[in-house]
Amino acid sequence: MRAYLNTINNPWRVFDEVMGDFPFDLFDIALRTRARRYPRVNVWESEDGLAVQAEVAGVEPDKLDVAVDANILTIKGEREQADGSRAEFQRSFNLPFELENDKIKATIKNGLLTVKIPRKPIEKRKIAIEKL
Amino acid sequence: MSLTKKSDQQDVQKVDRVELTPASRVVECENAYTLTVELPGVSEKEIELTLENRVLSITAENTLEVFKDYTLVLHELPEARYRAAFDLPDHVDTAGIKAATKNGLLVLTLPKREEVKPRRIAVKAG
Repeated sequence: MRAYLNTINNPWRVFDEVMGDFPFDLFDIALRTRARRYPRVNVWESEDGLAVQAEVAGVEPDKLDVAVDANILTIKGEREQADGSRAEFQRSFNLPFELENDKIKATIKNGLLTVKIPRKPIEKRKIAIEKL
Repeated sequence: MSLTKKSDQQDVQKVDRVELTPASRVVECENAYTLTVELPGVSEKEIELTLENRVLSITAENTLEVFKDYTLVLHELPEARYRAAFDLPDHVDTAGIKAATKNGLLVLTLPKREEVKPRRIAVKAG
């Protein structure tokens, strides 16, 4: 139930829902199969930037891709299943601010991915007002 | 001198952990079963494997990072205690069980006993 309430209030949810996974949060955590297609995450935010931890058990580090395009963070990868077949997973977040996409720091340990990305500094520009 | 018991201090630091059953699968090969258990965020030191009366029990705790000066805005990963137990069939050679971790997976090899492994019997001409 807590997860469901999360959906209504949380701006981080929006992107996933737009992607056509409406009851995402409600069922994702409960249903393991879906949880495996969309890795579960903890997202931390500060004035400096963003930190994300994601569950990616069974994924080789070179089969994992973390990318930021403007303000969309995407984590995708491929996991090998027990029968040898491959399963892809992907999850995107619409961020409320822009990030420095060339300063992504990602580490993986025991199937837990940690990503740290600094915020893009906001350019302040004064606009001169001309007299007519 | 402090009279605080050591156990009291530990209690303060204890986190309420969510009890979870980890995702797992078993694959049968000719000579062994391979049991794979997903334990993301669990280091090998935090995995406890016990075998009692042919019941293999797995208990593990994950470690999540707490980022200083950051606020948690989306919380899906709990501090978890993973628990699972497996009834091993009689033809598993319990003495030969091997365990290894890789990329957040616990991989157990459960060898079959010699007498149940497939075997060719040579036919001699009379």
